[in-house]
Amino acid sequence: MFELDIAMKHIRSRQRQTLFSIIAVALAVAIIIVSMSMMSGYMSILIDSTVENQAHITIMPGKDEDYIHLYRGLEDHIHNLEGVLAVSSYFQGEAALQYRHDVEGVVLYGINPYDENRVVNREDDMLAGEFASLERPGSRIVVGLRLARNLGVGMGDTVTARGPGAEPTDFTITGIFATGTQADETTAYANLERLQDFYGARDVVTGVGVRVSDVYTAEELAKRIDRETGYDATSWIRQNAEILSMLETSESMVFFFYVIIFTISGFGIANILIMIVMEKVGEIGMLMAMGTSRRSIMLIFLLEAGILGMTGVIIGSVLGYIAAMAIASITIPVPPGMYFGMDHLPIVIEPGNFVTAGVFAMVINLIAGAYPARRASRMDPVEAIHHV
Amino acid sequence: MSEEKIIEIRDLTRIYGDGAPIRALDGVNLDIERGEFLAIIGPSGSGKSTLLHQIGILDTPTSGTILLNGVDITKMSDRERSRMRNEELGFIFQYHHLLPDFNALENVMMPLLISGVKPSRARKIAREMLEEVGLADREGHRPNQLSGGQNQRVAIARALANSPDIVIGDEPTGNLDSRASDNIYELLRRLNREHNQTFILVTHDEQMAKKTDRIIRLVDGRVVEDSG
Repeated sequence: MFELDIAMKHIRSRQRQTLFSIIAVALAVAIIIVSMSMMSGYMSILIDSTVENQAHITIMPGKDEDYIHLYRGLEDHIHNLEGVLAVSSYFQGEAALQYRHDVEGVVLYGINPYDENRVVNREDDMLAGEFASLERPGSRIVVGLRLARNLGVGMGDTVTARGPGAEPTDFTITGIFATGTQADETTAYANLERLQDFYGARDVVTGVGVRVSDVYTAEELAKRIDRETGYDATSWIRQNAEILSMLETSESMVFFFYVIIFTISGFGIANILIMIVMEKVGEIGMLMAMGTSRRSIMLIFLLEAGILGMTGVIIGSVLGYIAAMAIASITIPVPPGMYFGMDHLPIVIEPGNFVTAGVFAMVINLIAGAYPARRASRMDPVEAIHHV
Repeated sequence: MSEEKIIEIRDLTRIYGDGAPIRALDGVNLDIERGEFLAIIGPSGSGKSTLLHQIGILDTPTSGTILLNGVDITKMSDRERSRMRNEELGFIFQYHHLLPDFNALENVMMPLLISGVKPSRARKIAREMLEEVGLADREGHRPNQLSGGQNQRVAIARALANSPDIVIGDEPTGNLDSRASDNIYELLRRLNREHNQTFILVTHDEQMAKKTDRIIRLVDGRVVEDSG
């Protein structure tokens, strides 16, 4: 493999310049790895917080129906499906909560706290009191933190609920939760049976929430439930389609910047190779006279691009890893409850990101090397030899 | 010396340019036998270098044929031409054209490595060649650590490394002082005798040309004198 020998010597003969072109590639790779890691981190936090705070599949009444009747049978049916972890039926209604002179409109959920907690882990979000206090049938209510603030209420206070066609009823606050989402301002929970009474709708629910083991199978399972039960089942993926497609859009925007960054570093490689080719014209002519085929001449310079690029990719990957770890370890003071409760920049180090950045960089570097390599391989040996 | 024809050139014409074409070679006919040691001379622009490039398969003729060992090299693909240059031809140019980043031994190994000889065997042959040109003790030196004459000797060792049938020299002593020139000439002459390879030298140096076995004089792309 004399081509490799020659390529290595060429690179060594121009150490300073090759070093700079390697640094350019390494920096590009490192920047892109950090950026990809942040993107992955942000994405996974967004998805995590979405799938943690939300039922993975929500089953609503079928067309032209207001309620799900015989919901216990439906619960059993869904429980028996593969991949289902928990099922929770709820009665959702609109209500106004009043405390002294303050009134707030809320979405009131009647739930079985044990089931509901298994679907959305609400107990983890409790700031005060217990979610399980809704277990016993009674006029107890658990409200979101911002709702509590807006009403000016605390634990043990009594609020009056008014709903369409319902008798005003007093509820005692036995818990306050904070999820960091909109729910904190608009949501309140009460016992399922108590709320069915409140709305005068016995033995029916308005929806069933389902938690599954693999969140990415939710869509498939939702379709199956939809088909098998005739109810309207929606997965979290479909419910959050807007956010997910926004994430995809921003990913493709970022991709555009990756192309620009890599192209700039590719110019560095092209530049050094053009310089080497110009400097080695006589040598290229002599190699041809010695019987080196045009293909081998091309290979020599592509190898140079490859070696420079590969070195840059390896150094850049290490740099990117270190930088990502360093950024991940910085704590940023953020008020609790904001930004999904994050106090770090979200960084997820995924091997796939390194592979993508590396392959991407190599492709661009080889394209950058193609022009000088082609130019070298097309030289006229006679002219090249007499070019001194 | 055998009577075997190694080069047969028939009606070789090479025209440069389209607007005002220059006939660098104009219907050259020439036969060269194995083991000959000959000089091509002529004034500047007479076409002697062009003829050499044609024989060396570095250029293609406008018309005419060249047979090397009975094979028409004007109809070869680029790959065949490369292989032929590697195996059958050795080149020595006015400027040594050694690869500056490689030492003397590595430079001599290069044609062998190009033809696919294993590095260990290439190294052995290259050492022998360096010994033949009297530079065994300089094998680790790079071109910039050697004198002009020494570099030209390395270039000769390189030209002969693959045991080519034909060695082509384009002003091989053109950059050297007269003493170094004489040394190079003696070396080429000795190698020619020992290996029975064909040596074709293009030169300005009439003194040197007179010492060869045969002089081909070119004027305006035609052979005007062929004295053996």
